[in-house]
Amino acid sequence: MANELAALSNALAAVVEGAGQAVVAVHARPRFSSSGVFWRPGIIVTAEHTIRREEEITVTLPGGSTVPATLAGRDAGTDIAVLRVEASGAAPLPKSSGAPAPGNLALAIGRSQDSGTNATLGIVSAVSGSWQTWRGGRLDHYIRLDLTVYPGSSGGAVINVEGQVIGIASSALSRIAGVAIPSVTIDRIVEELLARGHVARGYLGLGLQPVDLPDHRKGLIVVSLEPEGPAAKAGVLLGDIFLSLADQAVADTDDLRGVLESHGVGATVEAAVLRGGNPNKLPILVGQRPRRG
Amino acid sequence: MHSFGEIGERLRRLTAQISIGDRGGGSGIVWNADGLILTNAHVAQRAEMQVELWDGRRFRAPVLARDPRRDLATLRIPATGLDAASPGDSSALRAGEVVIAVGNPLGFAGALSTGIVHSIGRLPGMGRQKWIRADVRLAPGNSGGPLANAQGLVVGINTAIVNGLGVAAPVSSALDFLQNGGPPALGVTLRPLRQGLMILDLDPGGAAAASSLRAGDVLLGSFDELSDALDSAQEVLRLQFLRGDRDQVREVFVRVRPRAEAA
Repeated sequence: MANELAALSNALAAVVEGAGQAVVAVHARPRFSSSGVFWRPGIIVTAEHTIRREEEITVTLPGGSTVPATLAGRDAGTDIAVLRVEASGAAPLPKSSGAPAPGNLALAIGRSQDSGTNATLGIVSAVSGSWQTWRGGRLDHYIRLDLTVYPGSSGGAVINVEGQVIGIASSALSRIAGVAIPSVTIDRIVEELLARGHVARGYLGLGLQPVDLPDHRKGLIVVSLEPEGPAAKAGVLLGDIFLSLADQAVADTDDLRGVLESHGVGATVEAAVLRGGNPNKLPILVGQRPRRG
Repeated sequence: MHSFGEIGERLRRLTAQISIGDRGGGSGIVWNADGLILTNAHVAQRAEMQVELWDGRRFRAPVLARDPRRDLATLRIPATGLDAASPGDSSALRAGEVVIAVGNPLGFAGALSTGIVHSIGRLPGMGRQKWIRADVRLAPGNSGGPLANAQGLVVGINTAIVNGLGVAAPVSSALDFLQNGGPPALGVTLRPLRQGLMILDLDPGGAAAASSLRAGDVLLGSFDELSDALDSAQEVLRLQFLRGDRDQVREVFVRVRPRAEAA
């Protein structure tokens, strides 16, 4: 007869074994491999920061064989990269519905070539709504993990105790804790990366600083301007103060990013700006953020 | 069955403190009721160590055998009727299983920490054997102590901390050590170089010291190849090495001793 601890132990090991069938080791950097998850047949998602070379990427499948993979696209902003492999892999893991709650148990499942499936256990320590990463992307939820994301575990599956995927683990989005990139964000980015190879983000070519206006309103003052950028072409000048964009007040730069989320590349947005104290309206054609490197 | 508290207490009673005089050392596992103690070779550094049991009794304990490659050693204390460890089946251990570590981290006697098995497999630079990696908080002083499963059966001997993960020798290798003794050893401290393995130090009275090998010589081949040669049960090993100007390959014959009794 097993005690309760042994029952818990066996249940955890069974969940790890099940989820491990969809988790691969990704070899795309020196020294440490990282982990990845079969998201669709033949499609693997991993943590973008662990992809240090774009050629000669291989993945070790749950069965132990190592096969070549091609990089279908990468998005540094959300720390998601998508790989294609010939193998279809096991059935993708079931996804948990909605965001987890703080205190829920969570497991991070990774894989390495030498020792197969690996696992760490902890809890979800904080959950909030939409979150802008310091790398410039937007996660649909901020899910902070109180579990150790070891160097090889980034890109591995973060699952609940029922074996449903919460997201993938990343150690690169927060200095204080591991973060789970939520499934709903991965679905969105995978769609875009498979279609285009990159995530197009709206771009105005502006450096902005929040300022208080005399009538208790707030605005964003233009402190730098990309020559030939979308805003410069629309006639924006240094010192202009943005009050609203597409009829939405912009008190800080996050508000502006929010407008660009819904008005993507190619859309025209009307900016209400103060110039020398006088209101002006300027239509700006949203451009595409230049890609790094 | 036993509650978590009972399992923890039982494990604490079979965990010993091992030290050199008043200097901090590591942990050990009471392996049988008649005073056989299992620990790491890097904990049992001297020919005689001090062992303190959970109830405060202290003994001077001679080291019976050492296996530096698997990092295991045995000691004997003059005591009987002790609570001893029950070994589990480390080959059946799976990632995700709950594990409990007991030891004397940073001098806190009988400290207990829990976690899960992270993975099981080879580790770079740690030979051909498999090691248990555990997502469990360990600190210096846990070395030589037990890593137990949810039933309280000892499945590993905590040995090292690598990238924050606890690394434990599986109990199967400890059982092999206890049954077959320490494997033949050269009695050298080696440092891997691009060309081979440099001898940093020779144990006086060891097999290498009795040959013409000297500190500074570089043995050709990898650590794994040397381990395989030692495990091949040949009494005399022919080894190639470089000395001095390093453009001439020299050869040496080393007579290794057969396995030593561990228990």
